[in-house]
Amino acid sequence: MTLDDRAPPPFLALQGIVRHFGATRALDGADLVLRAGSVHALVGENGAGKSTLIKTLSGLYRPGSGSIRLDGASIEIGSPRAAEALGFRFIHQELNLVPHFDAVGNAWIGRPHPKRGPFLDHGAMRRRVAEVAARIAPDLPLDRPAIRLAPGQRQMAEIVRALMDEARLIVMDEPTSSLSEGEAERLHRTVRRLSQEGCAVLFISHRLDEVIELCDAYTVLRNGRTVGAGRIADIDREGLVRLMSGGDSPDALQRSPAFPPPRPSPTRGEGEGRALPSGEGEEGAAASMTASTRPSPPSWGRDGEGGGPVPYANGAPLFFADVAFGPANTRLTLEARGGEIVGLYGLVGAGRSSLLKMLWGATPSSGRISLGGKPLGDGPAGRIAAGMAFVPEDRKREGLAMSLSIEANLALAHLADFRTTPRLPVPSRGRIRAFAARSGARLKLVAAGFGRSPATLSGGNQQKLLFGRWLGRRIRLLLVDEPTRGVDVGAKAEIHAEIRRIAADGAAVILATSDIEELLALSDRVVVLHAGRPVCQLRGASLTREAIVDAAFGHAPGHATPEISVRTA
Amino acid sequence: MTLLRRYGTLIALALIVLTFSIASPGAFGTVANLVNITQQMALLAIVAIGATLVMVLGEFDLSVSAVVSFAGIAAVSLFGTGVSLPIVLALVLAASLAMGAVSGFLVARFAVPSFIATLAFGTVIGGLTFWISNGATLFSGIPPAFRDLGRGMVLGIPVPTLWLAGAAVVFWLLLDQTEFGRRLYAIGGNREAARLVGLPVRRDMVVAFALCAGLAGLAGLLLTARLGSAHPTGGGGYLLQAYAAVFLGMTAFREGEPSLPGTLVGAAIIAVVSNGLTILGVPSFLQDVMTGTIILAAVLVRQFGRAGD
Repeated sequence: MTLDDRAPPPFLALQGIVRHFGATRALDGADLVLRAGSVHALVGENGAGKSTLIKTLSGLYRPGSGSIRLDGASIEIGSPRAAEALGFRFIHQELNLVPHFDAVGNAWIGRPHPKRGPFLDHGAMRRRVAEVAARIAPDLPLDRPAIRLAPGQRQMAEIVRALMDEARLIVMDEPTSSLSEGEAERLHRTVRRLSQEGCAVLFISHRLDEVIELCDAYTVLRNGRTVGAGRIADIDREGLVRLMSGGDSPDALQRSPAFPPPRPSPTRGEGEGRALPSGEGEEGAAASMTASTRPSPPSWGRDGEGGGPVPYANGAPLFFADVAFGPANTRLTLEARGGEIVGLYGLVGAGRSSLLKMLWGATPSSGRISLGGKPLGDGPAGRIAAGMAFVPEDRKREGLAMSLSIEANLALAHLADFRTTPRLPVPSRGRIRAFAARSGARLKLVAAGFGRSPATLSGGNQQKLLFGRWLGRRIRLLLVDEPTRGVDVGAKAEIHAEIRRIAADGAAVILATSDIEELLALSDRVVVLHAGRPVCQLRGASLTREAIVDAAFGHAPGHATPEISVRTA
Repeated sequence: MTLLRRYGTLIALALIVLTFSIASPGAFGTVANLVNITQQMALLAIVAIGATLVMVLGEFDLSVSAVVSFAGIAAVSLFGTGVSLPIVLALVLAASLAMGAVSGFLVARFAVPSFIATLAFGTVIGGLTFWISNGATLFSGIPPAFRDLGRGMVLGIPVPTLWLAGAAVVFWLLLDQTEFGRRLYAIGGNREAARLVGLPVRRDMVVAFALCAGLAGLAGLLLTARLGSAHPTGGGGYLLQAYAAVFLGMTAFREGEPSLPGTLVGAAIIAVVSNGLTILGVPSFLQDVMTGTIILAAVLVRQFGRAGD
């Protein structure tokens, strides 16, 4: 597990870092060795200690024991300022820009500003930032407030800020999780440029394909301990997964060719916690694997080979929408049948999330939206009454009430179901508690206690909580937006299983995600949006990664027709 | 539409001035009256400038009117015991600054919501003020030199207007042209980000609250100087009006952020409306109805503007 001897000597070495929070050991002997100019991947499941390790580097946490050596000399990092002075820069998962400041203003926060006399020299401030931006992100608009930048541009603004003085190490925590493919590719180019300039990059990502493509070295953390490190050239995806999961995770199992996929079965609860593919490797294989693993929903059958048109059992779709949408208010029609998972893909800004919010009644719509042939009631309350469920994109902002307990969050969407007596609007704690216990068990929710805040949960468990909210009532249409962003491999498999179970119960599912692997693994067909318009619909053999990306960039035929054209491979 | 959204509040001010000028050309639209309005808005605007500093942080200081009252009572009480003018000014301003620093410390260090911390601390200050004054209006022993700080003219400009101009320039420079000002906006915009890049978040918050209370103290001194007396609830009206000015100002410039020029526009609107309606002989309770309506209208226009984004 040691690094290659021919590589240049490490400039930064963390050894045996231990950090406790009360009784929990967040770090329990973590090692990390970084070389100048290296793009180093730090991987591990959620809760493996990656964030704690980074916070140790950034001076927010002090290690209980262990050593940090910079250029061979032992150092202590006492504060964020000290880390900054050492040339360490951090691009955190939650973007840390001041929303009303433009890129120039943001770049200078925390630095001695150029001045004329006692006052700020705005011209010099802008010139200096423009210099840095020209090198890294030439087309970044410098005068636009951060709130009006696209996610990718915000990230670039953060990188520009990080490079204002000489940086030796840039730590990026899940930088691509909120980016579209195109934006992620740009970020990758920037990372490579940084590495050519001799800056070390510590890259944290759950997207292993990205790690393998971009990074040249890796460190794997498990339970706060470094369980593997080396050159990316010497390991493959399966190897990383084995290290991360300890060799027996569902993900590792299902990827092993010796382990046959489970038999499809219409029984509810089938596949609970079971290995489920998230579609890696060759697309065709992934598609057929999906088909064979998927529990067969009662309403329609499928041959499992992929390629043929999806046979529908009855004529009318369960869900039908014909609405004005997008910048030009073009007509958009979308339908989904019971048991069907319809994937929705598009670059950031293509309108996936706004479409889901419109279908959910959270934003006004004009047109026709019906479920089971009946028009829907107004607003989210009307949708809920009709049997719809929604799992929003941003779990912290749109999903959870952190000031409430986990069980209260679970009960929130349909409080009326938990009344002590049907006539009185008084929720029964006992009923809520019983519901929480049932949902928690089904979702394998790992929580210290259901009376605590959801803030105490890991990202994956918070995400499960959002699904748990809708359990116990009949879901006819589930809208899901980015169900597994920033979620570890194990929780991801469980969330995928849950989505499949909900579809198997006869619900239609509309799934928006920017994770193409997830899209391929779960969807029966995929509708690709480009600039607020559906560009094409892909299914069966035509449903490939290349076709999706092509369409998302607006290259598909039948581009202008709101009526979706089916692309043939 | 963008023009209306960007400069809507300024346009509103211009329209209000125009309307009053047409309605009573002989009385409202005269130079003398406009100069008089700057004097009438001066104390309110000074308090509002302090409130702006705290609002930039995304916080409230609800103790400002208590500090205004306290400063007047404290000054007159000190004069009564024979303390000299410069010492009185220094002591009262120092006490005001210290009060703000205490609020700021409670908010910054212990994360007490500023709404509650300053409401409670303002109540404490109010109680102390009553205790010092025995609940009475104080007016004996005020030296004429002190009274000159708040009345009369210099070079044809009312003295309160000069104070306001001075405070406006100093705090505009501080907020817009110095690192301290940038830091306050950064803290208000994203406190966690500010902390992570190593900004002295707590210290800056304490300083901003102290300056806010310091300006309220200054306004209290000027009010007492102008009136020649101090009442333990003399500053009572300033709290709501100061925040009204800041909110009106937030609709005037930038992306809904508090800003110093905006606050001045806001204070001007409030002063102009009150002055104009008085000249037209509108009873004062109706003036309050009008002022409140204008603030609601400004905020609503802004919200509709946002919905169009």
